[in-house]
Amino acid sequence: MDVRFKRDGNSLVVMIEGEIDHHTASRIRERIDSKFLMEPVKNMVLDLSRVTFMDSAGIGLILGRMNRVKLIGGSMVIRKPRPEIQRILRMSGIKELIELDA
Amino acid sequence: MQPINRMRTEFLSKSANESFARVVAASFAAQADPSIEVLADIRTAVSEAVTNAIIHGYGDEEGTVVLTCVLYPDLIEITVEDFGKGIEDVEQARTPLFTTRPDLERTGMGFTVMETFMDSLEVESKVGQGTRIRMTKHLKSR
Repeated sequence: MDVRFKRDGNSLVVMIEGEIDHHTASRIRERIDSKFLMEPVKNMVLDLSRVTFMDSAGIGLILGRMNRVKLIGGSMVIRKPRPEIQRILRMSGIKELIELDA
Repeated sequence: MQPINRMRTEFLSKSANESFARVVAASFAAQADPSIEVLADIRTAVSEAVTNAIIHGYGDEEGTVVLTCVLYPDLIEITVEDFGKGIEDVEQARTPLFTTRPDLERTGMGFTVMETFMDSLEVESKVGQGTRIRMTKHLKSR
């Protein structure tokens, strides 16, 4: 599992690589939250194109970050999830809450 | 129906074993040559069941989780068992979005994911004795 960041104007682009489950989610959460606090941004783009597995721990991770972004009036986008990740995003109803950039 | 093959593995309730368990279950199912989608569904459901055993069955304590897979001609039966705290109210636990651990950003979707991604789901639990989750999935297109 790896998390990399890029700043794009007012947005923090978060690129997650590998698997998101209960085991990896806490480390991913800590890294994203500390970076989001340090950078002068209000929006977040979660690039999931390199995520190879995600269960409901990933849904919790995304919703938790969305709440933080919304607290400061920002918006969140999920970018390029693979088909098997799209399936769990769809069933969770998260697609109704967060913009999806396929 | 006679089983074609069977496997049983046990491991400590460490979160690092969540990926181990789902990979083992999917590898075992792969011998029946199911679609990639079916294998992805099995991986996700096993991950949820094993995570439940680790977080809710044992919590801060360490225990053993047992994963059993039985392969039939067109079906796999997967059982995930722990010997931990047990669930007081299984119906409530199966309710979508119900969680006892919002502090861990748990969404309460574990059982809903298992129900959606598998063809059947049974949960047996006794307080103080543990929980057994039994799931089945058809491996060929019906």
